[in-house]
Amino acid sequence: MEHELTWGMPVVLYLFLAGVGAGAVTVSGSVLLRGGDYSGGGFFKLARYGALIGPIPVILGTCLIIFELGRWDRAFNLFKVINLSPMSIGSWFLGLFIITSLLYAAAFLPSFLPRFEPLSKRLASVLHVLAWINVPLGIGVAVYTGILLGAMPSRPLWNSPILALLFLISALSTGVATILLARVFFKENITDSASEHHYHETGYMLTSADLLLIGFEILVIFLFIMFAHLTIGNLKYAMAIILPGGEMAGMFWFWVVIIGLVIPGLLEMVYVLPKMIYRSEFRVPRISEAVISLAVLAGGFMLRYVIVIAGQITGPMGI
Amino acid sequence: MTEKHNPGVQAGPKQPDQGSSITADPRQYRSVSIQESVSHDLEQQPPARRTFLTAMIAGLATAFTAITSSTLLKTGSAVAKSNGENGTNSKRKQYGMVIDSRRCIGCHSCTVACKSEFDVPLGVNRSWVEYVEKGTYPYVSRSFLPRLCNHCSEPPCVPVCPTNATYKREQDGFVVVDQGLCIGCKYCIQACPYDARFLNPVTGWADKCDFCVHRVEKGLDPSCVNTCIGGARIFGDLTDLESEVSKLVAENQVTVLRREMGTFPNVYYIGADHTDELDRRRPEVKNVNIITHKKDKERK
Repeated sequence: MEHELTWGMPVVLYLFLAGVGAGAVTVSGSVLLRGGDYSGGGFFKLARYGALIGPIPVILGTCLIIFELGRWDRAFNLFKVINLSPMSIGSWFLGLFIITSLLYAAAFLPSFLPRFEPLSKRLASVLHVLAWINVPLGIGVAVYTGILLGAMPSRPLWNSPILALLFLISALSTGVATILLARVFFKENITDSASEHHYHETGYMLTSADLLLIGFEILVIFLFIMFAHLTIGNLKYAMAIILPGGEMAGMFWFWVVIIGLVIPGLLEMVYVLPKMIYRSEFRVPRISEAVISLAVLAGGFMLRYVIVIAGQITGPMGI
Repeated sequence: MTEKHNPGVQAGPKQPDQGSSITADPRQYRSVSIQESVSHDLEQQPPARRTFLTAMIAGLATAFTAITSSTLLKTGSAVAKSNGENGTNSKRKQYGMVIDSRRCIGCHSCTVACKSEFDVPLGVNRSWVEYVEKGTYPYVSRSFLPRLCNHCSEPPCVPVCPTNATYKREQDGFVVVDQGLCIGCKYCIQACPYDARFLNPVTGWADKCDFCVHRVEKGLDPSCVNTCIGGARIFGDLTDLESEVSKLVAENQVTVLRREMGTFPNVYYIGADHTDELDRRRPEVKNVNIITHKKDKERK
């Protein structure tokens, strides 16, 4: 059926890209703070991937959304006022986050060149502070994308408090996937067994974290659907579109649930559980890491796509 | 601002009667609900659910308003309006419309009048007429549902606007778009449960029915009311209990669209058929056909 969409592909892409970027920076900041090493260790390298990649999708998505405006030449009007519109608060968050995440990324740059070592040592405390700033801001950007959609009673599918949580978890999960993918692409040749062991240790932390996030995401999707289905009226009518028999059911269940959650979740279990239960060596082939992260990213995109489209082609019942 | 200038058909004699002559129950009930629906404006307070957050960022908001005051206050944001340039409560009005569907013949002259009044581009409409057909021969009916912005007392489009471009005018209750501030983000278009808004394909900003504010300010009726050959559209001040709209609302069984959304619309319908295509699943109205202003567009 032909449907008229108010918010089209640029908005879907923006929600996905902002989620990926904010997730990557948030995960990077958390890894840095948790790992506690600010110069050259395994956790530092993980954090560096996230910090350097993170701002790119956020800025790309922001450009997309600016040109989606009817009057993109007036985009600056957003920063002339601040009010309680989720879009107003969100754009302030987004603007701040772009600046702080770029600073955070820049603070990592000297660590690439050995001759800047004194500088990067001095930047350690700066990184510490910037990580503390970027983690809450990144969570804010990821959550606001869900609040943005959830603020409207005229869109029953979106008008749910759990949508923001779903987008946040998906953003963190895709952020982890981005870092995993970067690790796969830019893997250095490791010669000695000690550093190889360390490499897999950091991989274990990322993969097990992602497994946890995927578990939570499945739970949130279950709650999202179940509570809509168990009610009567607008919400049930709207939710029917992604339930079996609905117009977008195939897309949702195949792409979001199977490709985006079940397959990467099972794959991660295969590698994580032996280590978790039997304390055996954690080793993931690069191809599996690539498959996991690509599947999570595809699922994250399709989640935004299905939610944005399904929310718009359903409305309140009756007149 | 003067009162009604209604063309012929519905216009009764207007006498400035005393309030004591109003004794009928429906009217008393109505007067209470009007008070309720405009009470937010009267008391100059934001709705309760927003109070908490408003308090939290009030300081911040004030700072920003101060910074940008020169441009903002002139162009009339909601913040600027609430500073009360419009004087006393007694001048506050809430204009509204009563649409008597029994008098509508589905001629679309309101649609056309609106189109020409504002030079609305092709493919979009500020006001339109829907045809509601239902039943199986010989037990059938066809009725008309003229549509326009409801100028709600709780407009869902206003709180989502990130630039304060859309706001409800305190002096007369019109929900309008400040076209100098609108960035065309389409948030309000999503938020409207009546699909009354659209992105103007020529100018790129959000557009909607504004109750012909330029005509009403000069004491004229809106263009669609002026042109309605059946006298199906009646316009006036709902806070004035002697106005024709108030009388019609009091004396008839009126309905509003999507009452359950809690928007408190100010466009009332008499004898409207609220049947929707979703009612096909009901056994008694299997056959329903809604024809709306655009062939490729379902009623949303």
